Amino acid sequence: MIQTNNLKKFYGGNAVLNIQSLTISDGESFGLVGNNGAGKTTFFRLILDLIEATEGEVLIDGEKVALRDDWKKIIASYLDESFLIDFLTPEEFFSFSGKTYGMSDGDIAIFLETMQDFFNGEIIGTGKLIRDLSKGNQKKVGIASALLPNPKILILDEPFTALDPSSQIRLKRILNQLQATNQTTMLISSHDLNHVTEVCKRTVVLEKGLVVRDIQTDSETLKELESYFAV
Amino acid sequence: MIERDLLRQQWLKQYRAPGFYKNLVVNILLSITGLYFAFILVGLGLLFPVIAKEAAPEQAASDVLNGLIIYTGLGVLIFRYFMQSLNTVDQQPYQILPIKRSTLVNYVLLTPLLNPFNYISLLFFVPVSISIISKSYGVWGTCQFIFMNIFMIWFNVLFATWLKRKYESTLWGTLFIMLIAGGLFLLEYFKVFSLFDISKISLHFLLSKNFGIALILTFPLIAFALNKQYFNKNYYTEKFTRKVLSTRSHTGSNAFFERFGKVGEIIMLMIKLVWRNKRTKSTLTVSLLFLLYGFLGYSGLYDDSKGFMYFVAMIVAGNFMLMFSQWLISWNGSHFDSLMTKSIDAREYISAHYFLMLFLNVISFIITTPYFFFGKYVIFLQVSAFLFNSGVILPLCMIFATFNTKRLELNEGSAMNYQGTTYKNFIYVMIIMILPSIIIAVANKLGIANTVIWIYAVMGLIGIMFTKQLIDLCTQQFLRRKYALCEGFRKKEA
Repeated sequence: MIQTNNLKKFYGGNAVLNIQSLTISDGESFGLVGNNGAGKTTFFRLILDLIEATEGEVLIDGEKVALRDDWKKIIASYLDESFLIDFLTPEEFFSFSGKTYGMSDGDIAIFLETMQDFFNGEIIGTGKLIRDLSKGNQKKVGIASALLPNPKILILDEPFTALDPSSQIRLKRILNQLQATNQTTMLISSHDLNHVTEVCKRTVVLEKGLVVRDIQTDSETLKELESYFAV
Repeated sequence: MIERDLLRQQWLKQYRAPGFYKNLVVNILLSITGLYFAFILVGLGLLFPVIAKEAAPEQAASDVLNGLIIYTGLGVLIFRYFMQSLNTVDQQPYQILPIKRSTLVNYVLLTPLLNPFNYISLLFFVPVSISIISKSYGVWGTCQFIFMNIFMIWFNVLFATWLKRKYESTLWGTLFIMLIAGGLFLLEYFKVFSLFDISKISLHFLLSKNFGIALILTFPLIAFALNKQYFNKNYYTEKFTRKVLSTRSHTGSNAFFERFGKVGEIIMLMIKLVWRNKRTKSTLTVSLLFLLYGFLGYSGLYDDSKGFMYFVAMIVAGNFMLMFSQWLISWNGSHFDSLMTKSIDAREYISAHYFLMLFLNVISFIITTPYFFFGKYVIFLQVSAFLFNSGVILPLCMIFATFNTKRLELNEGSAMNYQGTTYKNFIYVMIIMILPSIIIAVANKLGIANTVIWIYAVMGLIGIMFTKQLIDLCTQQFLRRKYALCEGFRKKEA
């Protein structure tokens, strides 16, 4: 369970994030939408303890996140390229990531087997370093490395952008399956309202750092969101 | 004038880079260092007759100079081969514009010749030509001498880039070149084959004839032609960048570190980091050269200045650690978020750094043990320096590292690359590397240098005994700086 209390982040006097209180319960799939600069990535970075909250705190299973290490065992995430280690080959990167979570070579191999469709034969066994992969393939490596340890909580920032249409569909299928079988808690942001409503049971709209909508997804959600963002 | 536009755009790229003004302090400090060396070079040039008389009283000063020139030329060539970064235009945006190929190639080849830094050796050669050459060869001879040196600089620049493009600066290449240089030196030393004499005779011949200068001009022309030919064959950038790695390699070496669990995994990661990035790799090569520093420091010339000898001992015995210590933590800049969100404890992350550096320290100590042949005192110095480096300097490095929040771009440029260098690095070098030696120098004046060296050794030993506690301390310091590091590393410099 993720809980944030009075979470605020200021940059030079401007509030980029200001959330009174937000609770994401176990197994929930939580979608985050908002225009550029709404504070989506900032919110994720605060949860991952990559930036310091100006005020307030993030708790995971009742424990504070800030400057602790325990929560790292149950969270896996991919926000941007700095979550990749670019001088490794994808295989080496998966092996390194997996081992930090205590996985064996066998566990990792089994996981990679399940990713074969998603990788479309362009990731494993090519001998290329991650820095020489295309943007889309880099993203696939990043997303897969977050799925690899089978985390209790999964955080993905705009996982669908830069993916080709088939991969987008495959990813949606993978995420929905994880929710059904593993009850993975998911935090996913996207610019594409379709994707979010298809994957997430709960959608939160951020604007200028404030929560302006917090809705349980149903057949009307997409329309509601579209009318909200209409200009 | 397309050439002019190209020049202008490269210049814009320089000073529109976000780091330009921030780096001003660094640039000023670098220029001060540069001035210092310039001063030394001019002084050497003017005082050369005196030095030559002292070193080789039986030969004329001009003969000594002529004989040495081939060695300076070779030395500079080797130096360039290691240090000179290859000039590139970011070709792709230009390749699609209607600019002639040869214009681009000429631009890439010839602009380094405009860099004043290349002409620094003239600071020696112009004064020396006045103090020596003008006396033996007259005005025309002096002019010839100066122009010959300019041509040789052109040759050196062009030839070194050609060698570098063609053979790259691999570790084996480095060893090969060091062997050749060492071999020539030995042949000269045992009077089997003397480059000195060849250089002396041919230069004397060229300087006393009027056409000598024309002969020398053929050297840079040949080097230029070699470069042109190379570019005719390899024009497309993809040939340079695509490097496919065989995945089978490197897996065997994991076994040793795998025993140390997660910390071992992180150490392996950093070893790969050093091995697969241009900049760290060339640092490794350069640090091999630094190992030779002991020949100067322990040669007996400096027996009276114990401060300097200890400085040399620290550099020699702790070579690899000291070279990489300036990049601790910040070398993970481009993937810092990754390491901070994976299931890695802060303590494990810091321990990995700590033990890797300790390991490097042991290695450089072991490979410099041949210096023990210089006598008991050198053994004393080296052992003391090794303990001091491992127990005192290392934790200090770790703590300093937490203040360096600049993201390092490891895959760009090689040596002589100051990206990611801040004034903090200079403070760091002053405190870590120079202060201990200054204290010894002062103690030496008071006649208690050896006592201080003993104290350093004991301090080092205590530090090693408390490694665990020191790692805890460094971890706390790291956590205190974690957000600042995260934020700093997120800022890319163009």
